Amino acid sequence: MKPTNKTPFLFVLTFLLAIACNETPEQQEPAEQKPKPDTSEKRQSEIMINPYASVDISPMDMSYFPVDYPKLKMANANIAPPVIRLIYSRPHLQRRALFNGILKYEEPWRLGANESSEITFYRSVTIQGKKIPAGRYIIYGIPRQDKWTIILNSNIDSWGLKQDSSKDIGRFDVPISTNGVSLEYFTMVFEKTDSGADLVIAWADVVARLPIKF
Amino acid sequence: MECYPEKTNEFVMKRNVFLPSLFLLFGIASIAQSGLPAVDKSPMDMCYYPAQYPSLKTQDRITEPLTARVIYSRPKKEGRTIFGGVVEYGKLWRLGANEATEIEFYRPVIIAGKKIPKGRYTLFAIVNEKSWTFIINKETDVWGSFKYNQAKDVVRVIAPVQVLNEPVESLAMTFEKQNQSINLVIAWENVKVAMPVSL
Repeated sequence: MKPTNKTPFLFVLTFLLAIACNETPEQQEPAEQKPKPDTSEKRQSEIMINPYASVDISPMDMSYFPVDYPKLKMANANIAPPVIRLIYSRPHLQRRALFNGILKYEEPWRLGANESSEITFYRSVTIQGKKIPAGRYIIYGIPRQDKWTIILNSNIDSWGLKQDSSKDIGRFDVPISTNGVSLEYFTMVFEKTDSGADLVIAWADVVARLPIKF
Repeated sequence: MECYPEKTNEFVMKRNVFLPSLFLLFGIASIAQSGLPAVDKSPMDMCYYPAQYPSLKTQDRITEPLTARVIYSRPKKEGRTIFGGVVEYGKLWRLGANEATEIEFYRPVIIAGKKIPKGRYTLFAIVNEKSWTFIINKETDVWGSFKYNQAKDVVRVIAPVQVLNEPVESLAMTFEKQNQSINLVIAWENVKVAMPVSL
């Protein structure tokens, strides 16, 4: 899944397909009803050929804590329930600059693509001294030059980011650091710490960490 | 990224191959703890009923309450024979790849005449040439179908196979409403099957 050498060809191909499909009834498919910024991404993927459900150009993924929980459970049926699950979509750089190309400083971002990124706490946790009850939330962020603000909000099962601060559960400023390497795909993953786990949020060479205690 | 193992989409994996490879996988993962996960070969996706619910919600265009959601991974055909090949007839299949397919009901529903309480479940299927048996099971947050436990079944329902004229490259799922039912339509290769869910 290295998104490198075939990209120009695929791009041309999918662009042509997108044009071709404009003529067909397939453009009635539900993807067309989604908010505009996302349909343009959708239109570039394989998809047009799939009348049931298009394949997203920014694939969805899932991260658990404990890391790889479903596999751990397979090896140990009596394992305790998971603590956290995150479901998010993974946009990729595609030769764009992360800042002033994809994201803008001080502008809220859904931390993903397509559906809002969803985080489930299977039990209550504490973030920066604030107790977060067990449950399902969406998570988004505001990238800034020197820090990121990470926000938990209760507007679940939503799309993109239509900010409704009245539903915010908590806002947490976290420092950023730079990674030695540049990540093509947006990545969110948990890493174990002494007091719980860090949510590691990484894309291009920027890394933000949200410490979660439990 | 390079040294982290990509999730497998070998959804039909023999147990005797599987256990050693699991150790190998964990071995590599522990070496590569500082690495971040690669992008899956079979990307994950979700579908809601009502279809496109999150998008409708965000546009204030909801006309029906949130009823169901499926989270599944989407293997590709890639020239292979899927049904009767990669997915063997008569055997349990996770209906996807990687993590087992999850179905969530946001309200009670009826499947095969049985009332299913709202909640999260795992969805499997036993695929045959003419019909599929769908299995809804209580054990969630699992990987594949390797530790399937029939004692945790909630319901099984059989649905006929419909043959498609146009082949479907990536496994696809979507809900379709029909009278008082919402059917979970599953299409891949040249096959389409609808699991009936009554409201």
